[in-house]
Amino acid sequence: MQTLTGGRGYWRQLVATLSVVVPALLLAGSAVAPPRAQPDTENATPVQVAQPASRIVAGPPLAAPDLALRLESLLGEHSVLAADMMRGRIRGDEDFVQTANAALGENTDAMTDLIASNFGTPAATRFKSLWAAHVTALFKYASGLADRSEGVRDDARAALISFERDLAGFFADASQGRLNRDAAQVALLMHVDHLLRQADAYATHEYATADRVYREGYEHTYGLGKVIAAALVTPDQAAALDAPVWRLRSELGRLLAEHVVLIVDATRAGVVNRADFTAAADAVNGNTGDLAGAVASLFGQAAAANFQSLWADHVDQIMAYTAAVVSHDAQGRDAAVAKLGTFENRFASFLDAATERRLDSAALAKTMLMHDQMLLHQTDAFAAKQYRQAHEMVHSIYTQMFDLAGQFADAFGATVAARLPSGSPKTGLGGMAGVMGDH
Amino acid sequence: MAVGGRVLLAALALVMATVPAGSGPTGPGASPVRAAAAPVNTPQVDRFHSIRTFDMVVEPVRLRIPALQVDTALEGLARQPDGTIAVPDNPNVAGWYDEGPRPGQPGPAVIVGHVDSVNGPAVFFRLDQLSPGAAVYVDRADGITAGFRVVSVSRVPKTSFPSDLVYSPTLQPSLQLVTCGGSFDYHARSYRDNVIVYTVPS
Repeated sequence: MQTLTGGRGYWRQLVATLSVVVPALLLAGSAVAPPRAQPDTENATPVQVAQPASRIVAGPPLAAPDLALRLESLLGEHSVLAADMMRGRIRGDEDFVQTANAALGENTDAMTDLIASNFGTPAATRFKSLWAAHVTALFKYASGLADRSEGVRDDARAALISFERDLAGFFADASQGRLNRDAAQVALLMHVDHLLRQADAYATHEYATADRVYREGYEHTYGLGKVIAAALVTPDQAAALDAPVWRLRSELGRLLAEHVVLIVDATRAGVVNRADFTAAADAVNGNTGDLAGAVASLFGQAAAANFQSLWADHVDQIMAYTAAVVSHDAQGRDAAVAKLGTFENRFASFLDAATERRLDSAALAKTMLMHDQMLLHQTDAFAAKQYRQAHEMVHSIYTQMFDLAGQFADAFGATVAARLPSGSPKTGLGGMAGVMGDH
Repeated sequence: MAVGGRVLLAALALVMATVPAGSGPTGPGASPVRAAAAPVNTPQVDRFHSIRTFDMVVEPVRLRIPALQVDTALEGLARQPDGTIAVPDNPNVAGWYDEGPRPGQPGPAVIVGHVDSVNGPAVFFRLDQLSPGAAVYVDRADGITAGFRVVSVSRVPKTSFPSDLVYSPTLQPSLQLVTCGGSFDYHARSYRDNVIVYTVPS
């Protein structure tokens, strides 16, 4: 791995060269190697180095609903990985930044492969170049915060505006006119704006604001993913994205995957006793409230109250395990694991009953066991500073929860649909029939 | 294609609407930077407690549509044995489907009202005259008001009532207002169409 430093002009030239002239050396996220903290010099921004790009793998094209779900999931993951990377850079936690950046690269690769599968390798190549430049500029902005360099931040912001304009053009072109370039640019810039604002707030220790924007940014990427996917497929295919079952799957996926990223962030903050722990914990609770709200909408408020109590057991024991890791308390860890086992069975039984046996209780308990175990292993890996392993586990848990949301959506949707009214209400008795035609 | 483009623009507008005002697209202004926070001394994770109390959303009690000068009490409506939603007994009072989400909760809330009685106009007589952007308010029993904005107004034959769009479970908060419309079938003693107003939180 090679590390370069240079002035802004050199950085721009490097990006331009790698993006246009040497596509084989794309600045893929995985190839972006954030350097150690650099001196606080306005014109000496750390510059990332390109490694040979991973090969683009085009699989069979996905149907519109699956394409949209996959894009939403990947964009959401990008959002939190980018924010985590920026926060690590602000903290000067460079080992963490390196692995967060590698995870961002894998996320970029996955998005690129998705584009390749549905729209061909040339389109994917262009996308990857633009997206990697976007990631690099985000890193640069965080470096500007870490190094207190307003000039570097301004430079990164300008670069981001330029990259998002190009990305909007890419999506507008790929949509064959269905997506307005200006509107796409505004939506992409909003994504960037979320990331920059959460980083600004984090750098000034306004953690509650940082985490609020973190959540808003994550939610925004799901909407962005749907809009982009809907534009890239034909209008008749896009209609499937308005089907209630698809929307429920997307919404549950967003909430359950957000649970993963927020509780992971809180456990990490707990392990190292970071100053932003309280805000991270509040964000977890916000997600728990949102999940309970979803249950209330589907199964009623009494069920939501039961769910929230159960889910609180789950979250409390994940955090209790983290506390035990911090205090090297083996008995405390065992106790948390045992209580999680109780939660897994009770939770599975609860959903089994709520869905009128549409979910297999035993299988669901196993799934939740796996979920809990991976969260605990993630905490262990993070505490041992095995950041690479920790990031890989988070990716697996995130993906698992998003997939689980599909099973939940099918079972929840079918259960609720069976109870819903159908047909037309008779809300007219004819007294004004003679004048209704005037309406 | 053009219609698809408009739909996508509208969808993008909705995406943007989820973002708080004041967050411009060009990124934040330069902000003062303080030193990165050092870990605090006392372990904070020991003090974590998950929220356990679910905040109930109380019943809606009143519907107000200023553009139509509608201001009515609300009664609860259940699903009937034939699967259709019950309708209010009083033509001058609207009703809400009390087995579904309450207005302001995630998911689709539904309010139904008569267009007319046997001898005159009823509470939703002019519902089809609402325009996109019009405000709709639902007051709840705890004094909190849930505000909505009309997105679209449609008239559909009763034979193809879009139950999926009106009732089906999603988590996006919305409110649908439903009444009758179109011509009257004197043989069946029923209007042939339904008017549906789709709204989203304002």
